[in-house]
Amino acid sequence: MTAATETLNPIQGGHADEAHGHDDHGHHASTGWRRWVYATNHKDIGTLYLWFAFTMFIVGGLMALGIRAELFTPGLQFWQPEFFNQLTTLHGIIMVFGAIMPAFTGLANWMLPLMLGAPDMAFARMNNWSFWLLPPSALLLVISLFVPGGAAAGGWTLYPPLSLQFGMGMDLAIFSVHLLGLSSIMGSINIVVTVLNMRAPGMTLMRMPMFAWTSLVTAYLLIAVAPVLAGAVTMLLTDRHFGTHFFKAVGGGDPVLFQHIFWFFGHPEVYIMALPAFGIVSQIIPAFARKPLFGYHSMVYATASIAILSFMVWAHHMFSVGMPATAQLFFMFMTMLIAVPTGVKVFNWIATMWQGSMSFETPMLFAVGFVCLFTVGGFSGLVLSIAPVDTQMHDTYYVVAHFHYVLVAGALFSLFGAVYYWLPKWTGYMYSERMGKFHFWWSMIWFNVTFFPMHFLGLAGMPRRIPDYPLQFTDFNTLASVGAFCFGLGQLIFLYNVIHTIRGGVGKAPANPWEGSHTLEWEVPSPAPHHTWETPPAREVVEKGLKEQLL
Amino acid sequence: MNTAAMPAVERDRANRRTAIKLGIAAAAMVGFAYGMVPFYNVFCEALGLDRARPELADVHAAAMRVEFDTNVSAGLPARLTPLQPVVAGRAGGLVKARFRLENLSDAPLGLRAVPSYAPERAGRFLTKMECFCFNALTLAARETREVTVVLLVDEAMPAELGAVTLSYTLFPLEGKA
Repeated sequence: MTAATETLNPIQGGHADEAHGHDDHGHHASTGWRRWVYATNHKDIGTLYLWFAFTMFIVGGLMALGIRAELFTPGLQFWQPEFFNQLTTLHGIIMVFGAIMPAFTGLANWMLPLMLGAPDMAFARMNNWSFWLLPPSALLLVISLFVPGGAAAGGWTLYPPLSLQFGMGMDLAIFSVHLLGLSSIMGSINIVVTVLNMRAPGMTLMRMPMFAWTSLVTAYLLIAVAPVLAGAVTMLLTDRHFGTHFFKAVGGGDPVLFQHIFWFFGHPEVYIMALPAFGIVSQIIPAFARKPLFGYHSMVYATASIAILSFMVWAHHMFSVGMPATAQLFFMFMTMLIAVPTGVKVFNWIATMWQGSMSFETPMLFAVGFVCLFTVGGFSGLVLSIAPVDTQMHDTYYVVAHFHYVLVAGALFSLFGAVYYWLPKWTGYMYSERMGKFHFWWSMIWFNVTFFPMHFLGLAGMPRRIPDYPLQFTDFNTLASVGAFCFGLGQLIFLYNVIHTIRGGVGKAPANPWEGSHTLEWEVPSPAPHHTWETPPAREVVEKGLKEQLL
Repeated sequence: MNTAAMPAVERDRANRRTAIKLGIAAAAMVGFAYGMVPFYNVFCEALGLDRARPELADVHAAAMRVEFDTNVSAGLPARLTPLQPVVAGRAGGLVKARFRLENLSDAPLGLRAVPSYAPERAGRFLTKMECFCFNALTLAARETREVTVVLLVDEAMPAELGAVTLSYTLFPLEGKA
């Protein structure tokens, strides 16, 4: 263990003290591809993460468009059902593990050291590893499309017995999940150590920015559940090739066991994708309402309660497998209980805006859009938490609508908000506000056109993961497909706006372009220099910002 | 431990300590995932939950899942419990099921079990050879007795039939309850 961690963290012992700074500068003399492949700087790694996530967002998005194209009209137009199933499966895996999670880790990498007043993440080399495991794992998923039998096609949840029957595409998916899990665990260890150990003097745990809090709790969740997923897929692998019978009924195993293990990972995973979004929104809303965050302490406790409760609700994904009524009731009530801390958060955001001097720059638009639409997703989640209702809605488009409201309008919108909010800090230039606003409204409208009708489709009984459907579902499906293509097209505006900003945007950005932002990242110049906070920020600087935040 | 103000050597050591703890936690969680396997078995057994069965998963011989359901009409002081709530039936084979029938009252009890089944299409492939529902039964006060049902599964049972539920409802004998 020690030897391994030493190689992960080579800067130690005698030569460290005064040599430290020079050492690092030596590194960053490396240019071209070396700068990125050998990257140990948290900003470079954060940038890599963000670009990787966006690339995967486009790949997964194209797959989604493949799905929506097929569903534009009933009948089989473009794909055979087998390939359609591969599309839904890979779309899910890629968006969850390739787009949303790396984007949040990238943001944490970029922003946590800046916000906490730390010189870098705690383990710079390990950080390089956690990023560079991602491209190979993404590659495995893409390759799996071209092997005999095609990619995994049993849904992103990889349920047996289907997942025991597929060809080698499933093995590639399993290895890919292993790599992704390893990357997440290493990234999370880095985040926890950085947040716990490397905060500026004066910034106690209960005074650090909400984004740091939610990143910390998310990282803990990942350390707890990513290994569980790794265990579950390893069992799949040995069942497939090495004669074990964890999930094979023939040998005394039980496929339902996989569902329990998977969702023990899967439900905390839901909050792994939601909590950092809560953190981002809790940074943006106070900044543009020009008021301190309402109920900071209750926000922290709500985050922690959501994390703890997330371990006790997994079986609400399995109401229809046949559980005793008492178990159903337990999971149903525990699930409903999560609405309480989540409600605390939503009301806190509203109270933060209440009587604030609000202005609606793009980050704020995305944050407010997040609050509205995430709440819709939360409500449909409450509907689904009711066991007898869920038995009816299970695996219908209602569920698809629900989780796209929390993942697209929730996680993704918060990420867009974060990018616009911090883009001036990253690039040193201001983005085009006009284009940003257009991007928001375009996304807002077409998102709802795409996903709102899915509620009705689900209520009418349309199952998810089908390439063809009865005639009565045509109108809503056509509408959803039109919405999806427009939504997808709109993301090119975002890409253009970001590139435009990198190349100079609409002018230079000041160190703090936002009136109401008082966290430490705005104390360094824009663009943030390669090395920041090599000596921790002065006590007065920290205290001044905290005072503005009423902490 | 906040390491920001520490000299580099100590800071790195403290950071490494925290990372090792977290690494151990992650490794332990892999163990937890595997630990769920025996725990699941114990849990299902303790609660009497229905598990997937090897005999039902044998793809070489078409098997039908036969589930037994029992009910007691309101107010009747009796209890009927299937000793094996789910059994596998094979084409051309016999299904034997046993039930525990209890009289909960202090007086003799006359009753009759009325059978029903679903789905309807399964009826053609199941023949009842023997059933406690054929006759009226009389139980002494507090008597517990085992009763049986024997079914013959037709050779021609289609593999896609899947599951069939047989239900027995206890009714009091007329004029005796």
